Amino acid sequence: MNGGWRAFIRLLAIQGTWNYERMLGVGMGYAAEPLLDDLKTIDPVRHSEAVVRSTDFFNCNPNLAGLALGATTRAEYDAVAGSQIARLRTALCSPLGALGDQLFWAGLIPALLGFAMAAIALGARWWPVLGFLALYNVARALTGIWALRTGYDSGMNVGAAIARSWIPGAIARVGPVAGFALGLALPLVATWYLRGIGWAGALGTLAVAATGIAVTRWYGAALTTVRFALLAILLLVLFRGIFP
Amino acid sequence: MSELTLAPALLLVGWGTLVALDLVSVPQAMIARPIVAGAVAGWICGDLDAGLRVGLLFELFALDVLPVGAVRYPDYGPATVVATALAAGAPWQFALGLSAALGLVLAVLGGLSLQLVRRLNARAIQHRAAALAAGESSAIRRLQYGGLLRDALRGALLTSLGLLAAWVIDARVRLDGSTALGLTLVAVGCALSAAAGGALRSAGRGARLRWLAAGAVVGLVLAVLA
Repeated sequence: MNGGWRAFIRLLAIQGTWNYERMLGVGMGYAAEPLLDDLKTIDPVRHSEAVVRSTDFFNCNPNLAGLALGATTRAEYDAVAGSQIARLRTALCSPLGALGDQLFWAGLIPALLGFAMAAIALGARWWPVLGFLALYNVARALTGIWALRTGYDSGMNVGAAIARSWIPGAIARVGPVAGFALGLALPLVATWYLRGIGWAGALGTLAVAATGIAVTRWYGAALTTVRFALLAILLLVLFRGIFP
Repeated sequence: MSELTLAPALLLVGWGTLVALDLVSVPQAMIARPIVAGAVAGWICGDLDAGLRVGLLFELFALDVLPVGAVRYPDYGPATVVATALAAGAPWQFALGLSAALGLVLAVLGGLSLQLVRRLNARAIQHRAAALAAGESSAIRRLQYGGLLRDALRGALLTSLGLLAAWVIDARVRLDGSTALGLTLVAVGCALSAAAGGALRSAGRGARLRWLAAGAVVGLVLAVLA
């Protein structure tokens, strides 16, 4: 796979042109460019068609985009019909989005953040921040390299390769870890902020927290936690202004 | 707010720009997470503790929303940088609430500015639709670099305006001790509600909820012992 490392680096900017029409499409085209270079000499017409296809609508979790990029590039070199490549690309959007989001956004990231926040609250200061960055980026880089290679090696059979891979098992394991880490962090962080404030202040803060959970659940998207927070801050300032 | 000379102010704008770029565009290395953005901003301002206090507070807010797909979410990165600058050099119990208020407004503005950049990206693609349809690689590169530049400008502008607002607030707003402490407690309470709500939502009703509860029990025990 010539241009693999350049494609991997470019995948880091896959969301550089994110928009509501093609989503990651142009970013995929940008990452595909070095991989398709050899096709220019083999079949220039096919190369032009492949470049056009590479910028079409696409969306998935950016950390797993390499699977789709590798698979569609391999299919271009294997001279698979363009319509089939376009169908593969469309078919990969949802599974790669769902798997990547569960693995990273709902799994690894909250798990690492939970442990990092707990460690800071226990007095560890800055090193949990470095640990979080190091662990996440190593995991993400290894996943990205694996994804690009697996996609390229599998071509049109990438779906079966994903089903056989380590990803479904990792998702099943990392979810509970994330739950545990967040559960661990919340009381520790709350104590970190409220220690030394006094019982009245601590109880008032917990009452605000309980109210926030209740009303944001009740009102859903109409009252996000940020809106609730701004409203609460505004009410406090008004109250203090009227009753100094 | 610590006395900010030109060098740290420029460093903060640079850091805010990197953090804004990291959220979506490049490289998604998680430096946009408030815990990271705040720690580095605190270090730049010479008050790491303020950075950690502000960073953790906004991290709790950020845990409420999963930034997946086309979801619209606040941009907490530059907001954390600015809020840390405002809180630095003062006792956190009195500075955190006011800096959180400024940070939350900036986070909302950051989210809106992200929508604007996405619309501008779409417009740029429409302008180059013919070149894309012809398979011109140079058009793809130009679009990509243009998108990155727009996002970088967004981050720089957001951080600069935020720092200006922080400077004005620091110079003009004087809160009495109990109001400042009250604001901090309200901000902490709201942040805890955001994180707890997000954790409960993502836990669902299965095994993850049991692990969340187990973690909370261990956390409570550690909090009592610590």
